[in-house]
Amino acid sequence: MGDKLEMKIMVVDDEVDLESLIRQKFRTQIKDGLYNFVFAHNGLEALSMLIEQPEIRLILSDINMPEMDGLTLLLKLKELKNPLLKTVVVSAYGDMENIRTAMNRGAFDFLTKPISFDDLEITINKSVDEIALAWNSAQEHDQLIAIQQDLRTARGIQQAILPKIFPPFPDFPEFSIFASMIAAKEVGGDFFDFFMIDNQRLGFVIGDVSGKGVTAAIFMAVSRTLIRATGIKGVTTHECMNYVNRLLCNDNDSLMFVTVFYGILNIASGEIEYVNAGHNPPYIVSENNVKLVEMTGGPILGCIEDVEYQSKNVKLNPGDLLFLFTDGVTEAFNNQEEPYGDVRLVTYLHEQMGGPIEEVVRKSFASVSEFSAGVPQSDDITLMAIRFNGRN
Amino acid sequence: MNVEVFKTEEYVLVSVEGRVDTTNAGEFEKTMMGILEEGALRIVLDCTALNYISSSGLRVFLVVQKKMMASKGHFSLCSLQPGIKEIFDISGFSSIFTIFPHKEAAIKG
Repeated sequence: MGDKLEMKIMVVDDEVDLESLIRQKFRTQIKDGLYNFVFAHNGLEALSMLIEQPEIRLILSDINMPEMDGLTLLLKLKELKNPLLKTVVVSAYGDMENIRTAMNRGAFDFLTKPISFDDLEITINKSVDEIALAWNSAQEHDQLIAIQQDLRTARGIQQAILPKIFPPFPDFPEFSIFASMIAAKEVGGDFFDFFMIDNQRLGFVIGDVSGKGVTAAIFMAVSRTLIRATGIKGVTTHECMNYVNRLLCNDNDSLMFVTVFYGILNIASGEIEYVNAGHNPPYIVSENNVKLVEMTGGPILGCIEDVEYQSKNVKLNPGDLLFLFTDGVTEAFNNQEEPYGDVRLVTYLHEQMGGPIEEVVRKSFASVSEFSAGVPQSDDITLMAIRFNGRN
Repeated sequence: MNVEVFKTEEYVLVSVEGRVDTTNAGEFEKTMMGILEEGALRIVLDCTALNYISSSGLRVFLVVQKKMMASKGHFSLCSLQPGIKEIFDISGFSSIFTIFPHKEAAIKG
């Protein structure tokens, strides 16, 4: 028996003096909180007591009783289909016919009258062990179900907040944008988002929350919403990160954190103002070269309250591609335990940069999944590409 | 992941080997919490054989750091492999943690 759980036992017998005998015999177990006895005096009373006290696990029932006898009670109990509820019947000595019927109707064991209390104790202990075993395995099963439910919820939250309509801003020919995420089996906390601050500025963000499951998903949803709500007001990127960081730090006892790259693209000039809060740096892919977007020095969001984030600027020339991603890309492993890595990504991007934006992203995914074929994806993979077209 | 703990009167040296990722970060956290609960005042985390750490693992580092700061203890890391150092630099963890190149220096503090 694993954890000691209090075993609630219902004794069903029309002989009322049985109650005091049992209380006397099992006084130690009752005092120690191992057994808790309740008493009913016929089948009907037993059923109503069972409805009121569903935590009853073991029933010790006489066969001959007024109103509803023990054999009928067994039939009713069978209808409940509760594998965690076991019944031991008590019958007259040598009454094989009733005993057989009781066993056929699902009784777990039987005792004969006059009751030998030693035998009763052995039988109860044996039943209790059996129930505890069934109980523990049912609990484990429930936990498994709960974990699966948890993952479904997390996936739901994650999918619900990601932009889904592409192209999102067909009225703005100055840039094109495409992003996509492939969630790992155990959902992580990747997200991306973008929004027009005004007719001139596009806010865009990519992020990766520590950990997985529902807590990560909720932290992600909160982060994304705070950034969007703050960013859309048109404040500078460092003001936005300072503010969001302070809010996320509040009551964050579990020390979850999120890495974020937040940028604002001026769609007329190609100028990008950005803050990198602990995220892996994006690449700018130009016709002649591929370069990393310089770090801005700030740490991850959500853990260190008194950080002042700094922003930097970088300029896209017409045709340039800004490529953002999460570490699920570069840390995708192949069956030799080698990571996909930045070099492979950069080489690939440079080859592909000329194609339609959606294709660049989709082909990059294909390249990663081809590389890591046969190895389960351990982290979410998110890619976002923005091409600056300029104003012609 | 394999974690070895070596205790002396002055410090606790924790050597972590292999990968710390989502699948074992919980186990790693439990080990570290156990050491914290015993009231260790100086913890050195030897990362010589740490090949990979995911964000779940980094979170455990943060938890230890916060708890050690609260109890006025010292928590430091040493011997980060280049790949791990890079993750620390990108995420800004390098400025949050005390990092030594060698175990000997970390133990002296």
